[in-house]
Amino acid sequence: MRWIRRNLLTGYAILALVYLFLPISVVVAFSFNNPKGRFNYTWQGFTLKNWLNPFGYPGLQDALKVSIEIAILSSLFATILGTLIALALVRYRFRGSGTTNMLIFVPMTTPEVVMGASLLTLFVNWRVPQGFGTILIAHILFNISFVVVTVRARLVGFDRHLEEAAMDLGANEWQTFMKVTLPIIFPGILAGGLLAFALSIDDFVITYFNAGATVTFPLFVWGAARVATPPQINVIGTSIFVIAVAIMLTQILVSNFRNKRVSTA
Amino acid sequence: MLHRRKGAIPYLLLLPGMAWLVLFFVVPMWYLGKMSLSSGLFPVFSFDWAWGNFSDAVSSYQTQFIRSGEYAAIATAIALVVSYPLAYWIAFRGGRWKSLFLLLVISPFFVTYLIRTLAWETILSDNGLVVHTLQHLHILGPNGRLLATSAAVIAGIVYNFLPFMVLPLYVSLEQIDSRLIEAAEDLYASRPRAFMRVTLPLSLPGVFAGVLLTFIPAAGDFINAQLLGTPRQYMIGNVIQSEFLAVRDYPTAAALSFVLMAAILFLVLLFARILGTERLTVAA
Amino acid sequence: MSDSFTREQLLRRAVAGSALLTVPGFLAACGGSSSKATSTAASSQTMPSSLTWSNWPLYIDIDEKTKTHPSLVKFEQHYGVHVKYLEDINDNDSFFGKIEGPLSQGQSIGRDLVVMTDSSGLPQRMIQLGWLEKLDKSAIPNIKNLVPSQRNPSWDPNRDYSLPWQSGMTGIGYDPKLTGGPVTSIHQLFTDPKLKGKVTMLTEMSDSVGVTMLANGDDPSKVTDATFKKAISTMQSAVSSGQIRQFTGNDYASLLANGDIYACLAWSGDMVQLQADHPGLKWVIPTDGGMTWTDNMLIPKGGHVYGASVLMNWYYRPEIAAMVEDYVNYICPVLGADKVLEKSDPDVANNPLIFPTPEMYAAVHQFDPKALNNEDYKKQFQTLIGG
Repeated sequence: MRWIRRNLLTGYAILALVYLFLPISVVVAFSFNNPKGRFNYTWQGFTLKNWLNPFGYPGLQDALKVSIEIAILSSLFATILGTLIALALVRYRFRGSGTTNMLIFVPMTTPEVVMGASLLTLFVNWRVPQGFGTILIAHILFNISFVVVTVRARLVGFDRHLEEAAMDLGANEWQTFMKVTLPIIFPGILAGGLLAFALSIDDFVITYFNAGATVTFPLFVWGAARVATPPQINVIGTSIFVIAVAIMLTQILVSNFRNKRVSTA
Repeated sequence: MLHRRKGAIPYLLLLPGMAWLVLFFVVPMWYLGKMSLSSGLFPVFSFDWAWGNFSDAVSSYQTQFIRSGEYAAIATAIALVVSYPLAYWIAFRGGRWKSLFLLLVISPFFVTYLIRTLAWETILSDNGLVVHTLQHLHILGPNGRLLATSAAVIAGIVYNFLPFMVLPLYVSLEQIDSRLIEAAEDLYASRPRAFMRVTLPLSLPGVFAGVLLTFIPAAGDFINAQLLGTPRQYMIGNVIQSEFLAVRDYPTAAALSFVLMAAILFLVLLFARILGTERLTVAA
Repeated sequence: MSDSFTREQLLRRAVAGSALLTVPGFLAACGGSSSKATSTAASSQTMPSSLTWSNWPLYIDIDEKTKTHPSLVKFEQHYGVHVKYLEDINDNDSFFGKIEGPLSQGQSIGRDLVVMTDSSGLPQRMIQLGWLEKLDKSAIPNIKNLVPSQRNPSWDPNRDYSLPWQSGMTGIGYDPKLTGGPVTSIHQLFTDPKLKGKVTMLTEMSDSVGVTMLANGDDPSKVTDATFKKAISTMQSAVSSGQIRQFTGNDYASLLANGDIYACLAWSGDMVQLQADHPGLKWVIPTDGGMTWTDNMLIPKGGHVYGASVLMNWYYRPEIAAMVEDYVNYICPVLGADKVLEKSDPDVANNPLIFPTPEMYAAVHQFDPKALNNEDYKKQFQTLIGG
């Protein structure tokens, strides 16, 4: 009985992951497709040539580079800014906390086309040339709220007694924060950062308005889709995923290795 | 223990982020507000306190507003049900691979929305395995289809926002000391009751956050209805999109946006009130 | 009386005040002085050191091995001018929404050449708003190679502001295996019970309304309130009955390829690509007539007129147009390109979807440009398609 119950959850989790990856597996499969035409809709035959020449379309490489750079930078900044806000909101009672709360929610409610266009109006008015910088500003903007909400979920359940204990033992505020608080809320910060990264790398509408002449990966794909869906796009998507997983795996294995060494020393 | 001393600290913490929001969000919203009270035809609009834009917006597009709320609510509920066990599993059984699983959860975003939706269109195709199976099981009629239906739109929304539900849930669940759960199970002598009495309440901040991060953007979504739905599934996001880009009726688009934003905020506040905000947004 | 205004004066003042509130208008009101873009020597005839050209993605020839655009490389070598080629236009309305802010303020958008579709009504709009530069015709002798049917569009009768890049035709694409026979008319699309729920129309107003008007016996190049309304209600019945499944952009292509739809309004260029993988698919111009549209090269205000004109002229050389056509596979507006291709790529040269026959040209129509920018019509159409 226990066995079933215990594995029920695991079985369910596997199903959920399968559901999550169902379309991804189709995407990966179609990256090996060999269409004669320019659309990648029907399976025509297996080929490795897309993988051998993933950047066959000029512009695709640059678009990808821009997207990754912006995703990393904007999630970094948004995570920092958002975590600070979350700390303030959860731990302190101050005047304006209600308004601040509202101000965090409202950007999430704004339709993308409106947010993108009104931000552009601002940039044009202030004569800010549109390009990489404005895309970055926009991405940080919409990411902040998501980070705040995520980190806050973690902070709310945080047991302050741990901090008090640390301070009793002689640590000052900064040390306590770095050695006690931060590690414990880190999963929340990581989750917020991952969400921000995902939002940024897939954003289309807001980016479109504020990109000037810069092209990001989603912009390229949407634009190309009018005349083609090259399998190289599937290749790139798959590759990003594989590389990210590989990096994560390496990091986990390395830290495991280090932990083992410490414990056997 | 809440810091009650006034001090500058909270304000300093807030400053950089809020300054960003004020500068790049509030100011544009001000312009948008003025536009919502204007009238005219592109490209000439005049500000004339046209409150009528708001009432027109609500009355003309009532159906789409309600539909958006429905779709977003249903999608959020489904996402919650699907995500909670997954988040639970990652939090308690994930071991040292937790961060890897989190990465896996967001990895569909690396493949752009369009490509993964095309993949869904292939999977849910009228001639595909899924539809045939469902027809066989009489869940779908003999000519039934999955694509171009409300089911497809809602499913698309669910899939798109799944990470936004999983991650906050995980973040909240992972914090729960498993010994607490063990103790509760001993106490209540039954796992379901331990869950209901201990785990679930402790994970409520995560539930609240996940619901917010899913419902709020889902209500304004347009792309799922556009690709996976028929005109009968179109949401208020589609209306705003077309008013803004195609018709270029900026006052109406602006008014619609504000009504949408207000409606969502109202629902969020209601939801928070029901759950009890203090518990969810402020440290114990 | 000095202190009572005539109605006219009042109106004039109101208009002056309201100009403050164009979307760009409130930019000016907020202190932005309208600085004129440095219109780089619009009347001089020297080439600039570089040109910037915005186009739709995958709309020019590509050499996959070298990852360059051969026709562009040749231009750069010939004139010693660097061309910054951007593929950032993926939707007319969105692109317009992006550039209207700066343009309305007199700011340059940093591009010398852009490509936009006539059926969006936007090139015409931009002419009316004064946001386009006139071409330097003296730099474009090859304009003589423009196909006759494109020489005098109603929205730019002398081709003062535009030159076609590629055009396309809108007709009925279908899979004969699934439809059980030919689909030849819009009427059939809307009423054939075999096609119920397996038909899509386009979100392009000019295409969907245009072919419906033709099916109703009306003329889409001269739209009236009555004929427009009639077309909308014809489509509305087909939507309500469930005959029309969806209104799509070019994502109908994947549905047709998967067999989720049997017949649809389709663009000629898409069919060329689909037929490469599905030779059985067919494309016809409806019996009552089809529509045609053209993507036009335009010079936005502030662009280098001479340089852009020379660039346009380059692409009206038949051998260069052939290079582009061989890859893009939409409809070529340049005479003589098919002769060039007959030797190097006869499949393309003889494909009527790329080089249409005179009968095909006669069977397609253009949508009334005045109706394209009519807000009321647009709202009616948007309501129909659900927005």
